[in-house]
Amino acid sequence: MRHLHAHPGGDQTRRAAGLNTAPNAGRAWRYTLAGVGAVGLVLLLGLLWIVVLAPRPMDFAGGHHVSLSDYHAQDPTGPPPELNAASLIQRGQYLARAADCESCHTSEGGVPYAGGRALVLPFGTLYSTNITPDKETGIGNYSDANFLDAIHKGIGRDNTNLYPAMPYASYTRMTNADAVAIKAYLFSLAPVHAPTPKNSLSFPFNRRELMGVWALLFNSDKRFEPLAERTPQWNRGAYLVEAMGHCGECHTPRNLLQALNEREKFAGAVQAGWRAYNITSDRGSGVGAWSEAELAGYLASGHADGRGTAAGPMGEAVDRSLKFLTQGDIAAIVAYVRSVSGIATADLPAPKASPAPSSQAAGPAADVHPRGKAIYAGACAGCHDWSGVSPVNPFASLIGARSVNDPTAINVVQILLAGAHRRSPGEPANMPAFGDAYSNAEIASVANYVTARFGARPSAVTARNVAALRSQH
Amino acid sequence: MISLRINGEMRNVDAPPDMPLLWALRDVLGLTGTKFGCGIAQCGACTVHLDGAPVRSCLLPIGSIGERAVTTIEGIGASAVGAKVQKAWLALEVIQCGYCQSGQIMSAAALLNNTPNPADADIDAAMAGNICRCGTYTRIRAAIKLAAQPA
Repeated sequence: MRHLHAHPGGDQTRRAAGLNTAPNAGRAWRYTLAGVGAVGLVLLLGLLWIVVLAPRPMDFAGGHHVSLSDYHAQDPTGPPPELNAASLIQRGQYLARAADCESCHTSEGGVPYAGGRALVLPFGTLYSTNITPDKETGIGNYSDANFLDAIHKGIGRDNTNLYPAMPYASYTRMTNADAVAIKAYLFSLAPVHAPTPKNSLSFPFNRRELMGVWALLFNSDKRFEPLAERTPQWNRGAYLVEAMGHCGECHTPRNLLQALNEREKFAGAVQAGWRAYNITSDRGSGVGAWSEAELAGYLASGHADGRGTAAGPMGEAVDRSLKFLTQGDIAAIVAYVRSVSGIATADLPAPKASPAPSSQAAGPAADVHPRGKAIYAGACAGCHDWSGVSPVNPFASLIGARSVNDPTAINVVQILLAGAHRRSPGEPANMPAFGDAYSNAEIASVANYVTARFGARPSAVTARNVAALRSQH
Repeated sequence: MISLRINGEMRNVDAPPDMPLLWALRDVLGLTGTKFGCGIAQCGACTVHLDGAPVRSCLLPIGSIGERAVTTIEGIGASAVGAKVQKAWLALEVIQCGYCQSGQIMSAAALLNNTPNPADADIDAAMAGNICRCGTYTRIRAAIKLAAQPA
């Protein structure tokens, strides 16, 4: 290098070409090379850290994986024993629900499974596909092998790579039999002619080939293997959570390359504009203080007294998936989730368990956020009461809910904007959407009033925050 | 069949448990004094009392009421506070078109049950959820203050 640079002819040539010949050019060149080398090393170590050394989803539990054929306790895969006598289509329906295909593959107010739901990402909008058996616009031409490629490898029938919004890195653990049963169920549906709207992703995210690289790095393409040391119930829970329900896709934070960071398993993340909360066993910021009955009840009905009500994406997960699972399967999910050790989320306080005063004049937030309070009086108190304990419907009680005990108030703002529309029959729980009725500043003021009055730590949401959350609808 | 205690009487309602109380009152029991306004708990016209607390009956499933006592506009005059509110309403001619007034009277009576001498802020907070398109708000406030005076 030094020799090259010292070569007089080289200097002359450069001078002739009008190139930089400052005396420190050589040093700069060397620094640049060293810099590139250092960056390369960091990237390499980074890749090593997030790809090669990254723990897999069940590694937190320790123990040894055994293949399903070598596991002689009750099979953790497949439909539950209640469906032993059921038809392939019925079993497929149960499994499709357990995998919650419907939530993403249905547009708002659209035909189930006909796709078209917009997923608004920072770099554009992605639309879910039609998975009814329509031959032209759906999956009617998929063979079993095509379907398995999509579920396990994220490869569509036309040989294109799917975006990881389709959680194939989780579904890859699904057994062939279960995936084929789901396909049989989907093929029993009426075909719907519904072309998928065109994605509007910016470069480089519009290059599907890149998703192939992503899959190479982050999709294990390995089927589920139970842990020999764990109970059949725990392994059943692991299968339901890791292969089917893909809980971690929202509740586990992601690394720089958008793969799940299992080092922080279930510690919570913001997904699609909603905060998927910490579901580790941390007592204050996770679900460690919940009883098993509360957890099971929350999963099965989307509500637990004193713990809050599922809304937004979790409400959908309950209404389209979890509420259809058998008690045994819910108990297995609880057993598995329970076994994940606690990780504290710094900004989430332990929820406040006591109701606010029943008089509007009393309470810590009596005089803050007068605008928010006035709106609360007119639009909210009728159902949520000044105490936060609803006289109308237990689903509308705010006390103990994580959302009002989250000082970012992200989910409170989202619920104010979009309302809450739960499907559960017998316990209708609908909150109207206020996004069109109130300005960003008004929504912010209501959110701040609500967290101050009912939560353990008040929020300081601004109109700009609300505008940003609005744009994700 | 669901049993409800309405205005002191046990009534049987042959309806699914997710039927909102307002529907049961008006369509099943014929108690049409309680009005349907918005159906999403935003106007207050359907307000009734559940153990004395004001509740929007349009969103209250009858299956979740249980033992709690329901009081409607038809029964509110039986309580001392309710009778005073109705008297004050008549004395000050509060009502214009009247559609929202069942709810207004129910919310006012609930307020006076808990807060016999309400300040303006108490009245604002308690009555803000009851909307009146005729704009009788100033007379409502005056009538609540009149009803709060010792007889």
